[in-house]
Amino acid sequence: MYRIGVDVGGTFTDFTVTNTATGENRYFKLSSTPADPSVAIVDGIEQVLKTFDIAPADVSYIGHGTTVATNMIIERRGVPTALITTKGFRDVLAIGRQTRPALYDVSITKPDPLVERFRRREINERLNAKGETLKGLDKNELETVLDELSETGIKALSVCFLHSYRNAAHEEEAAQIIAAKLPGVYVSVSSRVLPEFREYERTSTTVLNAYVGPKMADYFDRLEEQLRERGIPVAPMTIHSNGGLLSIETAKRLPVTTCLSGPAAGVIGSAVVGAAAGVGKIVTYDVGGTSTDVSLIVDGRPKFTSSRDVAGYPVKLPMVDIHVIGAGGGSIAHVDDAGALKVGPRSAGALPGPIAYQRGGEEPTLTDANICLNRLNPVALLDGRMPIDRAAAVRAIEDRIGRPLSISGEEAAYGILQVAVANMSRAIRAVTTEQGHDIAEITLFAFGGAGPLHAAEVAREAGIRRILVPQEPGTMCARGALLLDVSLDFVRMQLVEATADGWQQACEALGEMLKEGNAWLEGEKVDADLREFHLAIDAHYAGQTHDIRIPLTGVDSDGLARFLADFAQAHKAGYGYDIPGQSVIIVSCRLQAVGRVPKAITATYSGGESVAAAKSGEREVYYGPQEGWCTTPIFRRSALPVGVDVAGPAIIDEMSSTTVVLAGQTAAIDAFGNIIITN
Amino acid sequence: MTPQAQKAIRDDLITSDKREINAIAMEVFSNRMLSITESMAIQMMRSSFSTQIKERRDFSVGIFDARGNLIAQGTHIPLHLGSLLGATEALLERYDVANMVEGDAFICNDPYLAGGTHLPDIAVITPVFIEGRLMAFAANIGHHSDIGGSVPGSISAKSRSIFEEGLRIPIIRIARAGVLDEDLLNLISTNSRLSEERRLDIQVQIAVNNRGGEETRALFTRMGLDAAQTAIEDVLFYTSERLRRRIELLPAGSFSFTTWLDDDGSGSDPLPLVATVSPRGDALHVDFDGTGPQAQGALNVPRNALRATVYYCIKALLDPELMANSGMFEPLVISAPKGSIANPNFPAACGARSITCQKLAGAVFGAFREILTVDRLVASSNDLLPTISFSASKPDGGLYHYGETIGGGSGARHDGDGMDAIHVHVTNSLNLPVEALESEFPFLCDEYSLVVDSGGAGRQRGGLGIARQIRALHDGTIVSVRSDSYIHGAEGIAGGATGGLSTLTRNPSSDRQESLPLKVSYMVIGEGETVRIHTPGGGGFGLPSERSIEDIARDLRDGIISRPAAERDYGSEKIEAALNLL
Repeated sequence: MYRIGVDVGGTFTDFTVTNTATGENRYFKLSSTPADPSVAIVDGIEQVLKTFDIAPADVSYIGHGTTVATNMIIERRGVPTALITTKGFRDVLAIGRQTRPALYDVSITKPDPLVERFRRREINERLNAKGETLKGLDKNELETVLDELSETGIKALSVCFLHSYRNAAHEEEAAQIIAAKLPGVYVSVSSRVLPEFREYERTSTTVLNAYVGPKMADYFDRLEEQLRERGIPVAPMTIHSNGGLLSIETAKRLPVTTCLSGPAAGVIGSAVVGAAAGVGKIVTYDVGGTSTDVSLIVDGRPKFTSSRDVAGYPVKLPMVDIHVIGAGGGSIAHVDDAGALKVGPRSAGALPGPIAYQRGGEEPTLTDANICLNRLNPVALLDGRMPIDRAAAVRAIEDRIGRPLSISGEEAAYGILQVAVANMSRAIRAVTTEQGHDIAEITLFAFGGAGPLHAAEVAREAGIRRILVPQEPGTMCARGALLLDVSLDFVRMQLVEATADGWQQACEALGEMLKEGNAWLEGEKVDADLREFHLAIDAHYAGQTHDIRIPLTGVDSDGLARFLADFAQAHKAGYGYDIPGQSVIIVSCRLQAVGRVPKAITATYSGGESVAAAKSGEREVYYGPQEGWCTTPIFRRSALPVGVDVAGPAIIDEMSSTTVVLAGQTAAIDAFGNIIITN
Repeated sequence: MTPQAQKAIRDDLITSDKREINAIAMEVFSNRMLSITESMAIQMMRSSFSTQIKERRDFSVGIFDARGNLIAQGTHIPLHLGSLLGATEALLERYDVANMVEGDAFICNDPYLAGGTHLPDIAVITPVFIEGRLMAFAANIGHHSDIGGSVPGSISAKSRSIFEEGLRIPIIRIARAGVLDEDLLNLISTNSRLSEERRLDIQVQIAVNNRGGEETRALFTRMGLDAAQTAIEDVLFYTSERLRRRIELLPAGSFSFTTWLDDDGSGSDPLPLVATVSPRGDALHVDFDGTGPQAQGALNVPRNALRATVYYCIKALLDPELMANSGMFEPLVISAPKGSIANPNFPAACGARSITCQKLAGAVFGAFREILTVDRLVASSNDLLPTISFSASKPDGGLYHYGETIGGGSGARHDGDGMDAIHVHVTNSLNLPVEALESEFPFLCDEYSLVVDSGGAGRQRGGLGIARQIRALHDGTIVSVRSDSYIHGAEGIAGGATGGLSTLTRNPSSDRQESLPLKVSYMVIGEGETVRIHTPGGGGFGLPSERSIEDIARDLRDGIISRPAAERDYGSEKIEAALNLL
């Protein structure tokens, strides 16, 4: 049988196919079809099946990460959406947290709310913070408002009442009325999407869910239908920002959870590949055309966050914590009027792209610098499918960078590389030291088209001693889609003091959540023996606002003392102190319901015969003013043997990426097919 | 112009020698220095106890060179730009570097003796040695929750002198050769209402500098001391050169603007705040001559708070990407008349300086109106920092205390309406979510919304202010409010109208409705009573008659403007046309 992982990016749609019998992976890439992303997925799967001679009936799994929802938000292509909220609070969406997006630049303004003010309507109803009713829901008023809203042509409606995380009764009541009255309208209810306090973030998340809901449902339906028509016996799965798999049914209900699905799959995939390779602490380093994604993984567990923005709108759902900086292969280099060399944040992106790609780019980019230095193949990329104009890149770098700084073309190109590397290293150091880890213990997990190209320089700048480059790093996110479990997160707000009573309440909530999680996994058709439940409590000391997550091994009505001890210890580890005697507030109970998917990574990579046979040629590569140009051997990755050292300088080529090994570093292929570079 | 300013300007006109910089090494060095300040900032935020440091990020960290030049700074609050300068200057004035040793650390907070901006902001500075040679200083400053004084939190607009605002710390050694002076720490922490917190936070500050020092030492050693010194000089030269280029583009002359503090907190008449900016070649002078006398209360702006305010304005108006280091300060001369609210005489109180800083920033922005290109212009904003606080007794005898600052509308720009409901200028603090407020405190928020009609009319409209209405659930609830702008609103540009004013109302829309002054202390309200604050809107840009029918229609549809206000501002003919579009 075959399992297929797909990642739909802005420029390319990537595929990874695993033969479940042999564990062997195959990789494929084609241009994305932004107008209808399902077209590239279906075309690609057809081509993959043909190329690798696989019968549709032999496909046992399709998992795909997608940025469809994110792009819809960035480009504001969602549907006309309304908001029903508590009287007095329709402007919560416009006020946000009352901060401005840029401290100094007055020309950067906060985005307009996705729901215009005339479609944000208030209803008389009110709960207090305990969830008690101060004022019942005014149903007549709601009916009238719904009539008026339906005349404005809405396709989706979100409901967010104050304190609904405590008591969903009013929201549920309203949802029933809406369903009866406006049957064709997509409805998103805050207590179902995100039952957590803080009204702005909850409203924003719920509104985003509604805004992308109808079009995402269409997209998923289309994809499912087309795959069925082609004889594929399984329904496709999608990926949420927490790096778990979701059925299409759940994703249609909670499309906002897919916002970061591609990058999340890449990080979770890295965690699995890294754990198999026996690496403890990893920083993922995913360099694309316009940005670099960096994230920390410790003992196979990525770091999660629940505060991210999509295009300036908060999405407060649990997701893989990925730090993004605006530096990638397409970042434009320029000399400013006071004589400094800057790289980014402007990017030439995919279009017009780098000068050397000959698609109309005129400003030198980081990729052009790599081509000038002969680090990237100066003739053609993507296995020869993309021709390169090195001379044009050299000319532009000499004219625009070298001359104003009175340095040679290669020094200028090397300077561009150094500035970009310093910027990327800063991000890597920040995610590492933020968690109190020693950078010397980190392995840099380099992927994305341009990650392996810069990894050696970045590791040296940041003080990292070990680099791992997975197979076909340019399609790592698609491969990640094969390495995920089914999962969904559940949360219930508590906001009670951790006393005997409070603990009892929390245990009751967790008990109910376990039932809920089981029911969901049942619906996702996960066998009982493959189900796992991760329980946790978010808590803080009374008076604080930063929560700490304390994992629990189970629901234990006698577990209060242990929980308090764990909390104190975690606080001490995170902040350097604890406060004995200070009361602890249980903020929320969390449950992650997991359905394990069989997916072992085996050490069966066979590799090539010898280093000598893997050598495909050599070229002069520039390594800075001291080392200058050095003759550097070029190797085909697939032909390199397992376990044999290759001394730098060396360049290792494959279809989707290029790995640079510097002098003083050693590269070797491990039993899983990864390149391991050590200093 | 004040005489000292005239002299300063002459001195400053002696342009420094041009310098060939190593552009690549400098850029790489800047990134490495920022990596160090980021790591210091992360540690400071994670380890501190004070809410202001932890949650509101009211702190900054920095690295100075051996001569006291700021090389890199990390801050999330513009009012902290250059906030470490004063402390370092005071240190180098008071102590001989020859007598400093590795492991020393120095502490201060006083605005008059040690370059502070108000007493709760405590700075710690640590000399950094490499092979026995003093190479740098690591420094940080953070807003502590309480440093004593007449009120909890140490800030009261009513303080009559700095002696009412808490413990004054001149620049003084807190650690000697790695040994903490426990007696001194004890003295300082004992003077705070939260003494254990002070004791810990000061130790955190020392630890943060140690980390910054270690990383700086590692970096300089790796680069080699000469290369490091060259990179420092390059980065300082580059930054000042870059700002000079921006200044050179400005027309020569003197340009003034006046904003108003409607009272100084002690029932005074409106107080003018006058900024005059004078570009002279590649230097720029910012003078506050004409600004009203110092306040009897705590609204005074000490020297370093004034500097930070001006630095913020220059960065925002001329070059938002400009690096915060001493190079940025070099082309600037700042002066204010002695005894004015912008340069108070000792021992004037200055705890509540922020409101005045906001108004002064508004004056500097205004003074630039005539000399900036249209794409950088912005109409005046809610140049304020309205503060509300509510407290009530807990059943167990303790005290609830809820306080926050509220944003307002920003000024319109040539190509867009102003932003609604934001913090402008020197601060950018998060609000307290209503659900968090009601979970923690015995208050209800009846309404949190935009103030209709508060955006100044114009071709581009000003942003809207915020309405927040709080209901007390217990008798004996104590209310304090500190705001302004109830007479003078945010001025428009190029014919744009003034934004809406502040109001404060007790029991609105009831038969007990009462209009309150905008500075209220210790007003007691009973169960069920409400207090409603409106913050100002932003000024408009361009003549209202030039506003498009589509924009007017959208505002009417969205209820951003009421029909009567729309007819008054834009004329009934346009309103008819706009209504026809809906």
